[in-house]
Amino acid sequence: MSEHLPEKTRNWSVLTPYLLVAPTVILVFLFTVYPSFQTIYQSLFQPGLSRSDPPIFVGLQNYVDLFDSTHFLGSRLMLIFRNTLVFAGATVAISLPIALVMALLVNRRVRGLALWRFSFFYPTVLPLIGAASIWAFLYADTVGLINTVLRSLGLPSVNWTGDPNVVLLSVTVVNIWKQTGFYMIFYLAGLQSIPRDIYEAAALDGAGYFQQLFRLTLPLLRRTTLFLLIVSFTYAFQTVEHLQVLNQGNPADRGNLLLYFVFQLIGSRRNLGYVNAITVILVGLLLIFTISNFLIFERGGDDDQ
Amino acid sequence: MMRRTLLMLVVLVCVLPVAIGISAQDDITLDFYFPTAVDGPIVSTIEGYVAQFNEANPGITVVPSYTGSYTQTRDTIVAEGMEPIVDVAVMLSTDLYSFIQEETIVPAQSFIDTMDDPAAFVDDFFPAMLLNSRDADGTIWSIPFQRSSVALYYNADLFEAEGIAVPTNTEELIAAAQALQTEDRAGLLIPVAGGFPTWMYQAFAAGFGQPLTAEDPSVVNFNSEASLDAVTFLTLVGTSAEDGGYGVGPAGGSAWGETPTAFLAGQAAMIYHTSGSLSNLLNNADFTVGVAFAPSGPEGPATVLGGGNMYIFDDGSKTQEELDAAWAFVEFMSSPEIQSDWGVASGYVAARQSAWDMEPLASRVEEFPQYGVTRDQLDVAVMEFSSYDSINIDGIVNSTLSGILSGEVPLEEAQATLDTAQAQIDGLLDAYR
Repeated sequence: MSEHLPEKTRNWSVLTPYLLVAPTVILVFLFTVYPSFQTIYQSLFQPGLSRSDPPIFVGLQNYVDLFDSTHFLGSRLMLIFRNTLVFAGATVAISLPIALVMALLVNRRVRGLALWRFSFFYPTVLPLIGAASIWAFLYADTVGLINTVLRSLGLPSVNWTGDPNVVLLSVTVVNIWKQTGFYMIFYLAGLQSIPRDIYEAAALDGAGYFQQLFRLTLPLLRRTTLFLLIVSFTYAFQTVEHLQVLNQGNPADRGNLLLYFVFQLIGSRRNLGYVNAITVILVGLLLIFTISNFLIFERGGDDDQ
Repeated sequence: MMRRTLLMLVVLVCVLPVAIGISAQDDITLDFYFPTAVDGPIVSTIEGYVAQFNEANPGITVVPSYTGSYTQTRDTIVAEGMEPIVDVAVMLSTDLYSFIQEETIVPAQSFIDTMDDPAAFVDDFFPAMLLNSRDADGTIWSIPFQRSSVALYYNADLFEAEGIAVPTNTEELIAAAQALQTEDRAGLLIPVAGGFPTWMYQAFAAGFGQPLTAEDPSVVNFNSEASLDAVTFLTLVGTSAEDGGYGVGPAGGSAWGETPTAFLAGQAAMIYHTSGSLSNLLNNADFTVGVAFAPSGPEGPATVLGGGNMYIFDDGSKTQEELDAAWAFVEFMSSPEIQSDWGVASGYVAARQSAWDMEPLASRVEEFPQYGVTRDQLDVAVMEFSSYDSINIDGIVNSTLSGILSGEVPLEEAQATLDTAQAQIDGLLDAYR
């Protein structure tokens, strides 16, 4: 089409798209691409003993150390990595169904609707650190609310943040409580975008509530679910602030998570190489997850249409 | 009328900083970072001292900044690319070698040597208070400011009612805890759960015969016999009697912040905690709070020091005048007058011997002899863990202890776990030997 236009206009029309995306490209390069390569590059070095000593090139040694179970960090990383997968997996597997149920509940016309929606949503607006402080009081061993209730019922108390077999559950519950309301909003928006007449037609055909739910609502919420799966899974890797309040990763790293581990290590300049290497591993994993998720679901979506 | 006053105020607020800025142009301005680690109105107290200093020293303006916890303060200072670096900061006394490696601190010794009477200045500090200030060569790098130690607090009313003597060693400690514990009351809480078991553990390692570290910063004794005895004792405190333990506290120990709360609520007969909690406990207990030397060893009491010192920083950009001004401020904050007031306001152990003969501390000790116990306990105190690469080694020690204390690692495997940790520690320290 452009060959019919005057040459000057043609030049501009070739340039315009590039000019339009230029600001974004520059920003992405400066704040995403460049730091990423910097991280990868620095993961190949060990800092010198003193600040004035130059960094030493060690190749992939930092990565080797991190997977060496006798190394002082490698011996911790595998357990923390497993914790993180359990934490993220459980958060997604539990919070999304609850979010859907909550969305179905508040999508009806009930008395005090605004209050219900607010009370489901309010953990989301609390800063995680503040929420963790509330939970720290609930979980406290001798003076905590949950144990006080347990003891008054004659049940044995549980050391929620000190028992190695319970601590991961405790920190996961806080995250589920915190995030579910947020995911509910997305399901609610998804529900409200489904036309009512579909349900009317289904009702005329004699479909009951659960038939409507499983045959209509869930399939139509598929896009929302895909989006939430990716968002909630990647988000679960990033939400670690509550560990600072609840258990600082203790006991014995049974309650530790990858990003909090990075935070613990970053305090010492001596660890810069390792910190960068763990970050590269973490980002690589999330990339693989996100891309494969898109591929699987996009394929499936095409088949439907 | 009201509106005009308001307007005047607004104008004043806008103009005043400018006016001050102009008049202070030739002055030296010092940035001072400080963390807090105990309860109470600590920030306003410190700002009050800074105001006193600024008033008494025209030409120097110290700008105090509260920087959160010790860790946050350290991370703020160590963060790459911060230039010029802060002038003065309160940091953990155990961060000494980290900052020596960072090459960002100036030894206090270089200022002390220019004083009229260096010996008089140094000798007025309790010797124990300077243990973590000196490097292996004896050079003083940092000046004690907010110092504490591990102490035993006990419910004195309970002890009197039951006719039990205050324990002086681990055997008596367990006997007293077993005698005083009930359904609703733990006999003894030692805060080794969560956060940082390393500090409490150090008091017991010293009590059982060998402290975790000594002067040489490239040596850490984590798999010694004393270390195993200490961690075994701490584990048994929280192990039930059926499982062969003493069964006088919660499994895995208590959490740091909950321990004083439980004690105040009458849910514990005795607790181990920092001497810095003394004012809080005395002010809030509805029973008589007793303080005793920490009975951490089979032969008798032993404790470990803790807390923060003042460091002077220079990244090479500071003038001698600025450094001298920074020292003047450090000297002021460690003066007996300030230390005496600080000891009362915060509960920290005043580091200068002469501070204890001054008001307000002198009359506070007279009224509450408990304060004197934390001072006298310095005689049985060992230096706090200090080494090269201390942040990583602290991490290894913490997670190893936490594994054993929480029951994750059974006691039979404790020695092997300590050996593994020791090998990792030696791997890190080899670079410095």
